[in-house]
Amino acid sequence: MTAPAATGGNDVDADPPPPRVAPGRGSDERRARASQSFWAVVVAVPAIFSVLRLGVEAGGELQTTLLLVANVGPVNLLAGFLTTAARLLSTGLVCVFALGAVLGVSVDRLPGYRRPLFARWADITPAWFVVASFLIALVTWPLLYLPLLLPAFAAAFQLRPERLHDLAVARTLIVAALFGGYLFLLAPTLLDAWRQGEPLVLALFVVPPVLALAIAGPLPGAVIRPLASVTEAAVLVMLVWAALPVISTPVLPLTVTTVQTAPDVTEDVRGHVVVVDDVNMVLLQERGGVRYVPIDQVKEQVLCPSEEELPRHRLRVRDFHVEDSLMEGLGRRVRPVHRVDASCRATG
Amino acid sequence: MNQFLTRSRVRSVATTVAVALTLTLAAAAGCDSRQEPEIPSVNDKLRETHIYGQPTIKIGVSTTGPLMGELRGGTYSGFDVEIARYVAAQLGYEGDKRIEWVPVATEDRIPALQGGSVDMVVSTFSMTEERAKLISFAGPYLVTTQEAMVPLRLKDSIRSIEDLRDPRYKVCTSGGSTTEAELGRHQIRVFVVKEVGDCISGILAGRYDAVSSDETILAGFLSKHPRDFTIIDMPFGTSEQIGVGVPISDPALRDLVAFFLDKSYQQGRKGQTSPWLTAYHRTLGPWMRAPKVQPPTLDVPKLVDFDDKAPRT
Repeated sequence: MTAPAATGGNDVDADPPPPRVAPGRGSDERRARASQSFWAVVVAVPAIFSVLRLGVEAGGELQTTLLLVANVGPVNLLAGFLTTAARLLSTGLVCVFALGAVLGVSVDRLPGYRRPLFARWADITPAWFVVASFLIALVTWPLLYLPLLLPAFAAAFQLRPERLHDLAVARTLIVAALFGGYLFLLAPTLLDAWRQGEPLVLALFVVPPVLALAIAGPLPGAVIRPLASVTEAAVLVMLVWAALPVISTPVLPLTVTTVQTAPDVTEDVRGHVVVVDDVNMVLLQERGGVRYVPIDQVKEQVLCPSEEELPRHRLRVRDFHVEDSLMEGLGRRVRPVHRVDASCRATG
Repeated sequence: MNQFLTRSRVRSVATTVAVALTLTLAAAAGCDSRQEPEIPSVNDKLRETHIYGQPTIKIGVSTTGPLMGELRGGTYSGFDVEIARYVAAQLGYEGDKRIEWVPVATEDRIPALQGGSVDMVVSTFSMTEERAKLISFAGPYLVTTQEAMVPLRLKDSIRSIEDLRDPRYKVCTSGGSTTEAELGRHQIRVFVVKEVGDCISGILAGRYDAVSSDETILAGFLSKHPRDFTIIDMPFGTSEQIGVGVPISDPALRDLVAFFLDKSYQQGRKGQTSPWLTAYHRTLGPWMRAPKVQPPTLDVPKLVDFDDKAPRT
């Protein structure tokens, strides 16, 4: 697509970008390699993660891993992975496209300068894929972090306030009106955050829209190389760091199964249902180990939330919890009542 | 030309600052998302309680208090029992199979908690400073006043607190209750028995002339003998806060009970059906002269739970 690089030339105040070095055979090869590496990462990472998650879920036991492999279908595995890792994937992609576009438009001014990896990835990515990545981020990121999408989007598509209107006064008025509306929407949340002493929440809601006004544009030559190296390494480290909890997120839903082992003697087994057949229900216990429960002993089964779903903040944006994504928030409006079953608490 | 270059440099610097700040904020957001919650969760608290891991919970209740705590045909019923069932279910003990009901007399409530024979007491337990030195309270879940009930034959003779001081009338109450102390303060000679039910049978047998206790307890007995008794409209003493008693050694359990009582209170405030309202309408409600509402819970801890993200409206 080369959308980020292409739109960079629309800046009316900046220096006109010098023509790129004529693409030769070498640059075509580099472009092809960049394309291969990008798509390899996009396809391979989910596949590797999915397999790793099965191993982690099995508690590192070979036989349990094999049991899971035998019973968790690839479609279920991929769907489960996308459900839990869509946020991580979109974060990685948004980072790459935003940084790639800024670095790309910066090196455009410096003939002979080798384009950084992220810039090359941004160049070869189709526009629809970039937009789709931002849309996935929009619906999967927690509301608290959504404002960061504004500078990221402005950077990825090199959008400047000049796009809004030719006249500076009109531009200022439009920006002021947009920002005023944004603050009006968030005013109760910002007030609550102030009262609860949450400076990071205040910064995350207020600062990014301001940064979006200035983020598009070329960087000074001296900054490009260190920024490219540092951010490429940082994004990689961040993805690995953020991937660890995703790898350890269960593939199967958490349940508590009430098993009647003798008349008037029941036991709650907390774990994940691997498979159910005519004879047994196979449970992967939360504390480890697989248990085969005769199907006629199963008296009750309830779905339980995991501790990772507990909120860290007590803030809402217009009744949407700040740690909910738009998708989760809308879902809660469709099924507003959420009851934690007593069995989920009783078993440790 | 110079102006053009200067503007270009300013823009470059602005872009650099914006990129740096965005990355800093993104890093801060990443760290924030991995931090442990500052506010403890319900499950965290539950792990601190002495009941964690127990297969059942032992709850002390009255078995002789109509409408409040009563054992009939092997089944426990009453407002206190319903509140106990709600709290137990929230703590992870849903259904009577997971609850061990322990009958406790009024005077045995504190020893039962201190001795560990019960995990909590839900038995029209007035929250007083004296008791709070020995046990912990979560609540209140009800505010009552002390009243007196007389047989219909005396409804025109005993009409005020002064009438109760008349030595001709024998006033009965249960031992270890706040009513006993309150009647003493009003210089009323009182006959102390083990349970309020003993006062009722005593009056029916002609041994006593009046019984004094919480209005809810008296309403319960009135529901049993509507043609024999009447409650005199003469509330005396200060209003009493009825709460759930828990061992003083288990502050986590007290916090959890307070949290769940407050949860019910908040539901009622929003006009929704709350567990408290359901319990009230099924038991006490039809027999109270003035309808009651759930009082706000005191000392509610800040805890997070799985349903905190649910819409409030």
